[in-house]
Amino acid sequence: MLVEMRGITKVYPDGVVALRGVDFEASEGEIHGLLGENGAGKTTLMRILYGEIKQTSGEVIFSGKAVSFKGPWDSMRSGISMVYQRFSLVPTMSVIENLHLYLSSLQSGIRIEEVRKRAEEIMERLKFRVPLEANVEDLAVGVQQRAEIMKVLLSKPKLIILDEPTSVLTPIEIRELFRILKELKEDGITIIFITHKLKEVKEITDRVTILRKGERVGTYETPSVSEEELAVMMVGRGITPAKRGAPSLGREVMRVEDLWVRDDRGLHAVKGVSFELHEGEILGIAGVQGNGQLELAEALAGIRGVERGRIIIDGKDITNLPAEARYREGLAYIPDSRAVGLVLEMNLVENSILTSLRDFLGKGSRIIWPLASSRAGEIIERFNVIGSLRGQVKYLSGGNQQRLLVGREIIKAPRVLIVSEPTQGLDLAATEFIRSTLLKFREEGRSIILISTDLDEIFELCDRIAVIYEGRFMGMGRNENFTLERLGLLMGGVNA
Amino acid sequence: MIEDIVSLTSQALVAMIPLLLASVGEIVTERSGVVNIGLEGILILSAFISSLVTFSTNDPYLGLLAGALSGLSAGLLHGFISVYLRGDQIIAGVGFNTFAYGISILGLINTWGHHGASPMVSKVPFFGAPLYISPLLPVAFMIAIICWFWLFRTSSGLRLRACGEDPRAAEAMGVNVLRMRLLATIIGATLTGIGGAYIVVGWIGQFTRHISAGRGFIALAIVALSGWNPALAIAGSFIFGFFDAISLYLPVKIQLINPGLNLTSLSYIFRIIPYLGVLIIVSFFFRRGRAPRDLGRPYIKE
Amino acid sequence: MRKVILEVSLSIILSFLIGYTTLILMGYDATKVFSIVIREGLSNPTYLMIRSTPLILTALAFSIPSLVGVFNIGGEGQFYLGALSSLLIAHITGNSLLSIITGMAAGGLLSVLIAVIKVKRGVNEVVTSIMFNWIIYFSLLYLISTYLFDPLMPYQSISVPKTARIDYLIVHIQIPAIFPIAVLTSLVMYFLLYHSALGYKMRVVGISPKAARYAGFDPESSIILSMLIGGAMGGLGGSLLILGHTHAIDSTMSGLYGMGFAGIGAGLLGRNNPIGIILSSIFLSMLIIGGEAAELRARVPTELADALIGMIVIVLSAPYIVRLVRVRR
Repeated sequence: MLVEMRGITKVYPDGVVALRGVDFEASEGEIHGLLGENGAGKTTLMRILYGEIKQTSGEVIFSGKAVSFKGPWDSMRSGISMVYQRFSLVPTMSVIENLHLYLSSLQSGIRIEEVRKRAEEIMERLKFRVPLEANVEDLAVGVQQRAEIMKVLLSKPKLIILDEPTSVLTPIEIRELFRILKELKEDGITIIFITHKLKEVKEITDRVTILRKGERVGTYETPSVSEEELAVMMVGRGITPAKRGAPSLGREVMRVEDLWVRDDRGLHAVKGVSFELHEGEILGIAGVQGNGQLELAEALAGIRGVERGRIIIDGKDITNLPAEARYREGLAYIPDSRAVGLVLEMNLVENSILTSLRDFLGKGSRIIWPLASSRAGEIIERFNVIGSLRGQVKYLSGGNQQRLLVGREIIKAPRVLIVSEPTQGLDLAATEFIRSTLLKFREEGRSIILISTDLDEIFELCDRIAVIYEGRFMGMGRNENFTLERLGLLMGGVNA
Repeated sequence: MIEDIVSLTSQALVAMIPLLLASVGEIVTERSGVVNIGLEGILILSAFISSLVTFSTNDPYLGLLAGALSGLSAGLLHGFISVYLRGDQIIAGVGFNTFAYGISILGLINTWGHHGASPMVSKVPFFGAPLYISPLLPVAFMIAIICWFWLFRTSSGLRLRACGEDPRAAEAMGVNVLRMRLLATIIGATLTGIGGAYIVVGWIGQFTRHISAGRGFIALAIVALSGWNPALAIAGSFIFGFFDAISLYLPVKIQLINPGLNLTSLSYIFRIIPYLGVLIIVSFFFRRGRAPRDLGRPYIKE
Repeated sequence: MRKVILEVSLSIILSFLIGYTTLILMGYDATKVFSIVIREGLSNPTYLMIRSTPLILTALAFSIPSLVGVFNIGGEGQFYLGALSSLLIAHITGNSLLSIITGMAAGGLLSVLIAVIKVKRGVNEVVTSIMFNWIIYFSLLYLISTYLFDPLMPYQSISVPKTARIDYLIVHIQIPAIFPIAVLTSLVMYFLLYHSALGYKMRVVGISPKAARYAGFDPESSIILSMLIGGAMGGLGGSLLILGHTHAIDSTMSGLYGMGFAGIGAGLLGRNNPIGIILSSIFLSMLIIGGEAAELRARVPTELADALIGMIVIVLSAPYIVRLVRVRR
């Protein structure tokens, strides 16, 4: 047993319980998968092991000794390394410079020739090549990851933790990564593999531990569990009874045809998505974050350009309309980040008019502040926002900020509302309120596109569900045709 | 004709020294991610202090040392505000320029009672006629080369550059970003301080009201044009030193040819040359994206 | 609001303390100096208004682009251009309104040029602004000493003809007309920033480019527009100085020099708010006038005011976090 974590509990200062009495262990030379949804606690658990954060209670035993690491460098010296989703490489420097930089912190004054020698050794042992002189940012993501792994190997670790390593890779790169991991395993290195993808768990891990909502569901030998069983454990049983009334769909109000959208890196994040939306329906888009939802939402809102495809509202092609014009056409967007949807340093009244400025202008583009104030007052009242009109919005609690954001868009009575992660990070009361608000909106005959990683929410609110995976819709259909396990599989990339 | 070029070149070699020292210093500072707009103020302040010290001790080398020390203190102030207080680097620099100007003139008038200039002070001697070379020239050259070597060929220079490119990644790789940035700011300001002292003890021989005349900003332009490379800054400083020399030389020459012209007013028009040169060269030759990625942004640890 | 008053008071107190200490170190009677400064600074309200006017405008020249995330350090050059062009047009046409318009246009053109170079070539506006400042400074010196000097009074340029001068608003109350013009301009700017759609968009771009993008506002046009306005403000300042106060440019340009940079101080002290700027400009002008009186009475150089203002700016830079340096596209 290389690693033992016993009874790990982590409670944050604001009361959120991230982990509850979790046990975890991994032996030498094994590849151990850590499976769970967003927010299950996988990354938190590993950050405790790695020494980045401290547990509230519980102990960590490494190589037979109880340890309490003071920080990442401490654990590194003991032989634990972590490869994050967001690599810690300086993008504008070359690979060899990055390796040199890293090693210089471990051994001051190390010469670059020595670094090169060790790098060559690693590449030879693992049978891959990384162009050492190239700048990190010019390399394909898969190659960058290999560089990051090389960096980590320079400190000769006994344990390597990989956090969702395949989320940014192509299938071929994934194959290559797995080959490398198997070679590392042969050298006796233990690998902890954090993921939400079931297929990969089955393919590469020896054992797998499943976490759900901060608790450990179980640990199994991988060959002994099926993907279906894993899916159920990952998302849990029990569907919250739907408070939805029966759907009464009206005419088609929006149509999206073969949409292709690029992300900030220039790669295709949305690959040929098509769907229609009717009056009085909520269409849910489920999926793990990072599969194209953000780009899709921004493209629909008009904030991001579309490479190919069309967006049509009530027969009008709005594909080339900019955001402000689309908002006037009756489309509204609630982004997943409050720092984007609100201007935190402005006050409540100023925020109330952000996406409907034209409605508050008098002659000569003059802002009619009394009108804005009364709108703000309406929002506060209808949506129970607790906060002063004149205070900066950043001083409001997260729940109140979200109510403000949601309220501002709904009060405009748009025809189509696109909302992303409406209840992320909110307490129960705020969550319930916002969900029932959305349902009421639907009853009025409006349409909503709901993007969420919270499957309870998807089932509770949506009439139809689509799952997005790597930029494509996998499986779209009526709510009744889905089960939790089917959703889990689709979200993990398995056709079901 | 030849003697014109020779004298212009020797003049340029003198004028380039403060530019070279200041720009190399600022390259080090900016490579770590901090921008110090207050170079102009440092030049003025160190010029004043070194003139004061040289006047009282009659030793120009002490004057140089005093200049270095004033630069160091300025660097400490700016570094503290920019790095630890996470203040706005550009505003702090602009404020410092105004402050340094005020304090220096105040000191000038208070010490010598004169509004325009200090009395002459002893200078560092030149050697090597006909091309009069100041001993500080090879020193400045060496400093530029050493800085180049340090930044690009040593691991500590690598760590410094990482702070300016991606401080988060640098921190994750074990670099103490805040400390490194403060150090880089101090080094840059100290070199600039030496440059300011040099203008008095190695060149003009006295402290005057307009002693720096925008050289601090020309140094900033040289930093950008050299692509943040100390070796290229040598070329840049020489070019602008040459512009400086021409702007002083041409009006005299033209007046010799045409004695009816007023020298003072003529010299004004030629004084534009260095600034116009910077503007044109910078507007046309500056390539985006060569700057350290994180330049000017305060680093806030998670 | 309380926080703002605290910051402002702190910076003034700190800088006064440093000024006081410096004076003592230099052997002056610091208390006497400070009392002269404050007393003389406030003794003549009319003169105070006259001197505050250009400062209000150069402060606006810095603050308005500042709110959109751009540093207009070129206020000095825009000020000179405004003064020069106003002088010329006044001399030729004798019409003050035309002079003012020309001054504003000249300043605005210069600042837009700086903005375009920034946006299109990625060159930092600080360096280009400073270069322009010096180029215009020396060009002006040249013009005044060659083509534009007044043969009767060779130490200054040609003067503004009587018809173009702007004098008192209400003669026996002694309010110089340029002051209400400046105050009015400030109020118009306030209105623009806080009561118009344009100002709203500009402020959002300055505070949160991401939120601006979400709302559909375009950062680039806000940048260029704010610089246009800022430059026009700087030019207007030069105009009003020439038409309403000095009526000519002296051959050393001492009446013009430094106004742009002092404007940065006034803008920061006024927390980039047009109303606050009116107050801070009056305050700083008081220091400057007082400083000039102190030179006569206690033989303390006027540069004391510079040192004080510079110190105020340095202290104010610290709480001013990343917000202002955001927009870099």
